[in-house]
Amino acid sequence: MILPRSLQGRLLVLVIGVVIGVWLITALFIWRDARSELDELLDSHLAQAAALLIIQQTQSIDDDDGIDTRVPHPYAPKVAFQIFHEGQPAVRSVNAPIHPMIPADRDVGQGFATVQIDGEAWRVFYARGAREDTRVYVGERVDSRTSILLAVLRGTLWPMAAALPLFGLATWWAVRRGVTPLRKLSRSIAQRGPDDLAPVVMRQTPAEMSPVLDALNQLFVRIRTVWEAERRFTADAAHELRTPIAAIRTQAQVALAETDDALRGHALRATLEGCDRATRLVDQLLVLSRLESGATLELIQVDLSALAQRVVAELAPAAIAKRQSLEFEGASHCHVTGDDMLLAVLVRNLVDNAIRYSASGASVLIKTGTNGDNAILSVEDSGPGLTDADLPRLGERFFRVPGTAESGSGLGWSIVQRVADLHAATVAVRRSKTLGGLEVDVCWLATAAQWRATRC
Amino acid sequence: MRILLVEDDPLLGDGIRAGLRQAGFQVDWVRDGKAAETELRSQSHAAAVLDLGLPLKDGIEVLSSMRRAGVTLPVLVLTARDTVTDRVRGLDIGADDYVVKPVDLLELAARLRALVRRAHGQPQEKLEVQHVTLEPATRLVYRNGESITVSTREFDLLHVLMLNAGRVMSREQLEQAMYGWGQEVESNAVEVHIHRLRTKLGSDLIRTIRGVGYVLVRESAPT
Repeated sequence: MILPRSLQGRLLVLVIGVVIGVWLITALFIWRDARSELDELLDSHLAQAAALLIIQQTQSIDDDDGIDTRVPHPYAPKVAFQIFHEGQPAVRSVNAPIHPMIPADRDVGQGFATVQIDGEAWRVFYARGAREDTRVYVGERVDSRTSILLAVLRGTLWPMAAALPLFGLATWWAVRRGVTPLRKLSRSIAQRGPDDLAPVVMRQTPAEMSPVLDALNQLFVRIRTVWEAERRFTADAAHELRTPIAAIRTQAQVALAETDDALRGHALRATLEGCDRATRLVDQLLVLSRLESGATLELIQVDLSALAQRVVAELAPAAIAKRQSLEFEGASHCHVTGDDMLLAVLVRNLVDNAIRYSASGASVLIKTGTNGDNAILSVEDSGPGLTDADLPRLGERFFRVPGTAESGSGLGWSIVQRVADLHAATVAVRRSKTLGGLEVDVCWLATAAQWRATRC
Repeated sequence: MRILLVEDDPLLGDGIRAGLRQAGFQVDWVRDGKAAETELRSQSHAAAVLDLGLPLKDGIEVLSSMRRAGVTLPVLVLTARDTVTDRVRGLDIGADDYVVKPVDLLELAARLRALVRRAHGQPQEKLEVQHVTLEPATRLVYRNGESITVSTREFDLLHVLMLNAGRVMSREQLEQAMYGWGQEVESNAVEVHIHRLRTKLGSDLIRTIRGVGYVLVRESAPT
């Protein structure tokens, strides 16, 4: 059966369907019960009538008065009798056939039988008289019994059928009332604007609905968090781009108006630097937005030492330009499972930060190694390090350490942390024991590697 | 004219400083909120360009604490925060002008000149006292309508005296107006420049008040 899609219609159909079903089963039981009672009663009447006939026949077997076989009652055509004497019909009712109602082949002497006479079903009782040569048949049409049964059923079913529309209406009203909270909820959600993410509050929430409502409100909270983060990110990004663009514009304008060659050269170089910075900021923003939007990792076995070596080689010119000593100590067999591209981004950000924020002539040391089953990458420098107050703010987007003259996007750390999170790696920041500046340790836990293995 | 520039971004700060210098301002540049606060309270500048997103102390806090302390120095807020709410808050808290980055340097200079002019109650950009006219935008000086060549220092000195016409200015005040940080102040610089101005513009324009300073007289004294 196809149920309507509305909950209300569904409940209505089910309730009315079940009630009708119960009524029909009740009617069936009444039918069966009434029929067996009726059969018993009417059969006993047949038997009694036969007994009376036999007695009568025995008394007046010789006088040929016969029995008045006129039909005295409208029900009379539905009953019939026959008396045979020594094989010859003696007396019979008008509607009885000439031949015995029970064919000879079904005659077992005495008892009940249901037979077809002239296309009608008859219930017949037949018996022998006291003398062997008298036979009595008393029959009754079966349809008379059926009409009695139908009358009984009608008596029961009619009131029920008449009450059905009223019952349907009452059920409809009750169901409608019952689903009112649901309709209220849907109305309140439908009326919401796309940016209205306040929790849905309902007075007297039905017990069945409160899990739905809770889940819905939790979803709202999650959506709002994501949405606000998105919005903040966009706003922050726009702001962060404004400054480099303003710098480029200003420097270009200075260069345009400057008559002194040295000063113009300075302004032009600053313009180019501003362009580089804006480009880097945009690149970082793109990486971060890709990471935030749930990038899919391409997990492969990565040789961490080879990767770090590649990145260090890539960034070496920057360190050389600042006359910094850049060193790499890689251990062999230092493998991690991860996304090659993203891991390179992580290492590049760490090494780039170390070079950028350490003064000229400083030392930067990059090491890869293992600690038990864990793979570790550490980047140390002899730069100024961080104050205790600044350490916890490191992961904040666009946070730049106060007083740093170097231009940075303030996004590098967010990227490092996000990539580490995606790889279930931990990032620890501390003061470098050997170089005195900042030391950043990234640790890929062996257990996490197994966890990753189960994921891919 | 001396301007305080508060901007933490190295490239932008460098550019604005260079640009404002081209427009004839002396520029002192600080890069954080704390330093800005100290400099603003010293009141040695004609106006300030203030960024809002500053390390150590936010520009809004700097501005409001400075206004609470009664400092009336004209402040132009130059920031990336561009919402109407931000603008309204900035102006209400005490900014005299609110400009969103990026800004044209010529416009920035013009706005600063306007701020300084308004701070001194001048109705128009051109300053006129007696027979002398000074145009800050073009940095030209006229005597009876004829253009006169003056040096940068002389112009700055005359500008300050004309803005404060009728008011006695101490030697220190004049020095502060003429020289930015790191510029060597010659011991008798003010005297030398005053002397040159008198030669070019007439001896009775600027009077010496012995032991106090100098004053540019509004009307020619009856002879």
